[in-house]
Amino acid sequence: MGILTRASRNIARRKARALLLIVVLSLALAVITSLPPNIIANQQGNQGLIDQMLGAIQSSSERLNLTATQIDCNLGLQFLHNQGPYKNVTMMVTPFLNISDYANLTSIPEIADVIPMLLYWQPDEENFYFNFTYNGYTYRGFMYIWGIPLEASYLEKFPSVIPTTDTWTFSTKENITAGRNLEAGDRGVVVLQEFIANYFNASVGDTVNILGQNFTVVGIQGTGRYPQYFDIYMNLEDAQKITNTTGQASKLLVFADKVENVDTVENKIKEQYPERLEVTTNKAIINQALENKAEWEKNLQNTQAAVDNLKNTAIMEMGLVVVAQVAIMLFVMLYAVRERTREIGTLKAMGASNSTILGQFMLEGIILSLIAGIIGVVIGTVGASAIGNLLIPRPTDVGFEISVGGQDVAILAMTMPEFILAGLGIAVALGALGSLYPAWRAAKIRPAEAMRHE
Amino acid sequence: MNEPVLKIENLTKTFTLGKRKIQPLSNLDLEVKRGEFTAIMGPSGSGKTTLLNLIGCMDKPTDGRIVIDNMDIARLPESQLCKIRRDKIGFIFQNFNLLPYLNARENVELAMELAGKFKEQRKQRAKDLLATVGLSGREQHRPQHLSQGEQQRVAIARALANDPVLILADEPTGNLDAANKQEIVKLLADLNQKQGATILIVTHDEKVAAHTRRMLFLKDGKIIDEKQGSKSSPS
Ligand SMILES: Nc1ncnc2c1ncn2[C@@H]1O[C@H](COP(=O)(O)OP(=O)(O)OP(=O)(O)O)[C@@H](O)[C@H]1O
Ligand SMILES: [Mg+2]
Repeated sequence: MGILTRASRNIARRKARALLLIVVLSLALAVITSLPPNIIANQQGNQGLIDQMLGAIQSSSERLNLTATQIDCNLGLQFLHNQGPYKNVTMMVTPFLNISDYANLTSIPEIADVIPMLLYWQPDEENFYFNFTYNGYTYRGFMYIWGIPLEASYLEKFPSVIPTTDTWTFSTKENITAGRNLEAGDRGVVVLQEFIANYFNASVGDTVNILGQNFTVVGIQGTGRYPQYFDIYMNLEDAQKITNTTGQASKLLVFADKVENVDTVENKIKEQYPERLEVTTNKAIINQALENKAEWEKNLQNTQAAVDNLKNTAIMEMGLVVVAQVAIMLFVMLYAVRERTREIGTLKAMGASNSTILGQFMLEGIILSLIAGIIGVVIGTVGASAIGNLLIPRPTDVGFEISVGGQDVAILAMTMPEFILAGLGIAVALGALGSLYPAWRAAKIRPAEAMRHE
Repeated sequence: MNEPVLKIENLTKTFTLGKRKIQPLSNLDLEVKRGEFTAIMGPSGSGKTTLLNLIGCMDKPTDGRIVIDNMDIARLPESQLCKIRRDKIGFIFQNFNLLPYLNARENVELAMELAGKFKEQRKQRAKDLLATVGLSGREQHRPQHLSQGEQQRVAIARALANDPVLILADEPTGNLDAANKQEIVKLLADLNQKQGATILIVTHDEKVAAHTRRMLFLKDGKIIDEKQGSKSSPS
């Protein structure tokens, strides 16, 4: 009957009490073991959402950087009526400008670059029309020919000059679904919008004939939805050649040297070319991007706050449970010490040292707690997600679906032995902690007093 | 040749209960020689239990000297006192105080285990001691399955376990019926005569005291009277 036998027999002696205590403690330990996987799973589960938001913020910032200094200069929209096959439709075109007329632009010191762009289409020429089928219906569309100056110096500084979506000046998204985008120095090659590629029955590597000239298809641009525009992208010089517009452009993209100078540049251009030139800065876009960014940053903050809140709630609950567990152990063991005062006196009369008494009572607390720990770890592991759902409130005011509990938690709890070991370790530690004071009290009882105790 | 196992000089014990002071023992002197069987008698509250507690190192004196087996224990710390209780003293209590979750043999063994004796040695000696007190075959019984007399026998075996120099029995027959009382007193007298155990017994009962060889009376904190019993054991 070593100390272990004595401790365990004492526990077995008061079965109902031990059982009740074990049930209560095991529930507490189930909570303690199941909340950390919940915290981790919640954080992992919401990391995707947070990453997405960070990505949105990042791309808003990039968009800001890329387009903030950009100023569009063109000759204004013209309305064409009753031309071509669509006689009853009003169409808008921008007239071409002579690039050399605006050579003086570069003398404005705040201007970093002037990049001519060509957008060519002819509403009255039949070969700019084509038929395509979408969702079972056949539509008629216009082809647009884009001429882009594919010079390395431009592309490096302003990658957005390669238009690859319908809102080309504003977007950095490439949407190239096959092949590649245009690159610096490309000649005799085109990127086709997918509907046009279908119309030509062309894929990457094929040759297509556009306005009498052969081009190699290097990339297909997908839209993923009903497109607003049907674009063919090529080098500016190629475009000018096939459309007989050498030296001309639809617009000039002027880039200010920095964002703060956009207004100055705008004013100077207006002063220099007051008669026809229409000048548009990207203010609206900048504002939109700023707004988007702010919006995403707010979302991110809310999400992170919600995730942190989940974590803090869980940690607070764990703290409460730990305190409750230690308190329960403390009171039960204090009661046991009182109740067994005579036994303690007897042991002392037989020569048991204070540390033997201390050890026996602590061991009893630890054994009880460890049994509860084993049961608690099983409950906590199997029921991790259920306990998480019960104890961690689903946030309602985030505006996003915050991931709480669920399958992840269960898997995490089951597959990480750390939780199980930590659960048992915590059980032992809390058992020791809770019974330390009562055991110390037991050890300190003066033997003569103990024997007088009824 | 017959040197004292216990020598008490000027022993005083004062309890303080708030403002009230109780002094059950004052300047008490006592000597017990090896092999003596001594009864201490006295009215309730006269300090008999207090005296045994002090001798048994269960409590500390307010003043005076207690020498057990040539060691002055009056000023020793608890860490030493527990060893003296373990190795030199055997306690027998009025209500037996067996550990209910251990069987008879284990109760006896526990005393030896606390003294660090080896398991096999312990087991054999526990069996022998239970045989000595007449409980052969009852080793596996837990206290609740033993009669009161039997429980006190187990307690006596336990008191003998570590070969103490002094056995202290505080009203060992107080809870027993007449027949059992007789048996237990006989057993103690036997242990004294046959094995030379030194026994100090507190009792109210003249008949019990009559079995001893020396009777002391405790009154007003002192031993006031001393009667030598007959050398031969009364029947
Ligand atoms: N720990 C204590 N604190 C205060 N007073 C005590 C304490 N122990 C004993 N006393 C008092 O000391 C006196 C002697 O008590 P003690 O138990 O020694 O008497 P006793 O002779 O054994 O009596 P009884 O025959 O009833 O057992 C009593 O008045 C008792 O109340
Ligand atoms: Mg008494």
